[in-house]
Amino acid sequence: MIQINSLTHTYPGSRKQAPRTALDALSLSVREGEFAILSGPNGSGKSTLFRILCGLALPSSGAVHIGGIDLLAQPEKVRRILGVVFQNPAVDKHLSVIENLRIHADLYGIKGADFSRHCDEALAWTDLADRLNQRVETLSGGLARQVELAKVLMTRPRVLLLDEPTTGLDPASRRNFLAALQKVQRDRGITVLMTSHVFSEAEDVDRVAIMCEGKLLAFDSPQALKAMIGTEMVVVQPMGEVEDLAAILRAELGLAVRRHGDELRLEETENGEGLPMLESILERWRGQIKSISIKQPDLEDVFVHVTGRAVPDHAVKKELPR
Amino acid sequence: MMAVAFSLAKREFTRFARQPQRVIGAVAQPLMFWLFLGAGMGTSFRPPGLEQVSYLEYFYPGVMVMMLLFASVFACITIIEDRDAGFLQGVLVAPVSRMAIVLGKVLGATAIALVQVLLFTIAAPFLGLSLSLFGVVLLVMGFILTSVGFAGLGFFLAWGMRSTSGFHAIMMVFLMPLWMLSGALFPISGAPAWMNVVMLVNPVFHALEIIRAPFYGGGLDLLGRSGYLLSLAVVAAWAGLSLLGSMRRVSRREVGV
Repeated sequence: MIQINSLTHTYPGSRKQAPRTALDALSLSVREGEFAILSGPNGSGKSTLFRILCGLALPSSGAVHIGGIDLLAQPEKVRRILGVVFQNPAVDKHLSVIENLRIHADLYGIKGADFSRHCDEALAWTDLADRLNQRVETLSGGLARQVELAKVLMTRPRVLLLDEPTTGLDPASRRNFLAALQKVQRDRGITVLMTSHVFSEAEDVDRVAIMCEGKLLAFDSPQALKAMIGTEMVVVQPMGEVEDLAAILRAELGLAVRRHGDELRLEETENGEGLPMLESILERWRGQIKSISIKQPDLEDVFVHVTGRAVPDHAVKKELPR
Repeated sequence: MMAVAFSLAKREFTRFARQPQRVIGAVAQPLMFWLFLGAGMGTSFRPPGLEQVSYLEYFYPGVMVMMLLFASVFACITIIEDRDAGFLQGVLVAPVSRMAIVLGKVLGATAIALVQVLLFTIAAPFLGLSLSLFGVVLLVMGFILTSVGFAGLGFFLAWGMRSTSGFHAIMMVFLMPLWMLSGALFPISGAPAWMNVVMLVNPVFHALEIIRAPFYGGGLDLLGRSGYLLSLAVVAAWAGLSLLGSMRRVSRREVGV
């Protein structure tokens, strides 16, 4: 449904700044009816990709097809089937909920009986039923987000793009928003691509893409991603110099030891291997260890693993002598 | 396209009407400008050839043009924040013609400006000015064309801006001088020759001409005067060009190198 082929985007430089490549031959394909999450550290190119997918920017090279239509050549055709939820509110807070919906319907040429039908459908899952005449500025953050999503769903998009839609919401509102989004997505078979920083949001989606420095590092189901780093990991916090213990563990155990901040991680450990490893480490180097634990890797660990290894950044290189 | 533009324009107007302080400010500010400046300058201002006209009366159409300028500036300043972090984001990704986006803003600003300036027109009889029926039609046409010109120009300038403070600067060093050199404050006849040239190529000068004329020229016969027609043509061209320029700006997508 969304096909991105070898997309490269370089921002023009200026006198003070060298040109910057935000997307580097990125290819990614999201299947019809799939819920995909796009994550990556700040500056990884997510926002640039998002702007291109919205049809607001043209890449340096590459191709994007949405619903089989060439986005770069015919953005106006793609706009008909596309819904976009932005990180910053795109509703007018001085207007009421229903006024916002009406303007949005006007933009898509939805009138009369169609409007009320689409409206009912778009509001069905929300808590907005008795607040339609309230101005958006009087609503809570969670409800205002619901307006945002309802507005976009009203036009029955086949493809939905969301840019960190839960930013600024409390955990309960965030969960509600995602639950509603996932239900609507499944019921209507919408293809969703959502950028997110919050890995708990990604645990039960179809696929998670991790990008860094404009490249796609991984794109797979959450289960498959987690399997990349084993089902268990041992996390050691050394007492003294982190690198000293890292070197010892590497030499003595012959294992890949990865540093993450002031922690050392022994990944790619299978079920049941963690505890004996923990015991043997503790037995031999107890004096050098502040804390040690066994952990079930979650998506955040995958993210650290994947981006940490691939970042050709000198800061990381210094931490990870090979 | 027009349905979309009207819907966007209506939003613009509703927002204006819902902010009482904005309504009061928009009407009170030019009114004070006019009364204080007009009354203060009244006795000291006697340009040759205009001895019969009080400054209050001379300045009257100039304040109307100022109202039109301010209304469009206020409407256009919201573009800057709306585009990257507000309402316009959703409009830009909607399947609407880019001209409808420009027209929505410009017509909204024009509607707001018209309400203000028509309210202000009530003062005309107190100055001893009268308008024929056709004069009213011409006057309203002048208001609309001028407002479209200002709003289109404001749109064009605001679209490329990153910050509202930058737009304030443009307003002070570019838009305000256009108004000052329009003959709103002083007649072109008394100005130095170089300034004369600047004033003649300034579209706001011509806008003022077509707004001032109906108060003095009667009605239909204005359409027979070449000076009036020239000014009308200049203002219409200004309005049209600024709309086209704005549309081109909105249509342009940022391109990677």
